[in-house]
Amino acid sequence: MHGSAKMKVPNGKMVEAKLEYGSTIKRVQLLGDFFVYPDSGLNGIEETLEGLGADAEEGEIAKRVSEFTRRNNVTLVGVTPEAIASVVKRAMSDGMESNKA
Amino acid sequence: MEWRVIRLETRNAYSNMAVDNAIMEGIRAGSSAPTIRFYRWMPSAVSIGRFQSMNDEVNVEKCRELNISYVRRITGGGAVYHDSDGEITYSVIAPEREFPKNIIESYKLICGWVISGLAELGIEAEFAPINDITVNGKKISGNAQARSDSVLLQHGTVLYSTNIKRMFSVLKVSNEKISDKMIKSAEERVTRVVDHAGTTQEGLYEALLKGFTEGKEYQFDSLNGNETERARELEKSVYSSDSWNFSR
Repeated sequence: MHGSAKMKVPNGKMVEAKLEYGSTIKRVQLLGDFFVYPDSGLNGIEETLEGLGADAEEGEIAKRVSEFTRRNNVTLVGVTPEAIASVVKRAMSDGMESNKA
Repeated sequence: MEWRVIRLETRNAYSNMAVDNAIMEGIRAGSSAPTIRFYRWMPSAVSIGRFQSMNDEVNVEKCRELNISYVRRITGGGAVYHDSDGEITYSVIAPEREFPKNIIESYKLICGWVISGLAELGIEAEFAPINDITVNGKKISGNAQARSDSVLLQHGTVLYSTNIKRMFSVLKVSNEKISDKMIKSAEERVTRVVDHAGTTQEGLYEALLKGFTEGKEYQFDSLNGNETERARELEKSVYSSDSWNFSR
């Protein structure tokens, strides 16, 4: 299934998630006008979410992102692990809705 | 620290991005001086942020029709329309250690140089975190910073007389077609130097030059041979390529 969702981060920037997933997340692409330091960190965040169960809770997704950023000394500006988790969950809901339709 | 200042120059979009990148590499290798650069874009161009999708942000067909280039920046942030005669872009490229570690503090420091430049023209501007500069709450300058392997690059644009209607004909701000309402709304959010001061684009450049160099040791210079050669390579292999510009 494919799904996408977009949101404005409170006090931050726009973030969008485009997903390909089945029982697990196969591919994640995060887009937006936020900043990631160093910029290579975004690919790492996307990869760290791949393989995660499609039923993962927002808290678990956010934890994965924040653990990755802490371990790899990645700084997010204009976006947060919680916002990424929220938009990824919304993208999965979007995919399920589209599939029903 | 002595800065190299590259006077206002005009290049195409791919070359402008390649030059910033080549200087970044030169500083990393220890062969380039910390640099303040001012430039314009010819032809006019749209640049998108490192993590944006070209097709989602830019009306590519319209750009082709109007001979407007489109390029992905190395820095994050949003899509920007660079009007050839309507704005001035700057870049600051230097070792990261010369700036605050805190990202917002470093934006504030460099944006302060823009604000000083605008003050030369009698324009009272202020830093609006994360990365904007505003006059009476309206955006006059957008800025974007990248940090890679201990080198900081910040570039930003100062709107001089940008054609707002053309800007919104190439940027996909929403799914709706351009309407008078939307342009009015954009005008409410954006302002330009000509709306506040009677100066030329050259006058804006001179004011920015003063704002950026005040209190610094510097000398005017151009690109060195290595930077010129590397910029040509990057222009061809990266910045003018669809694989880079449409990578997201």
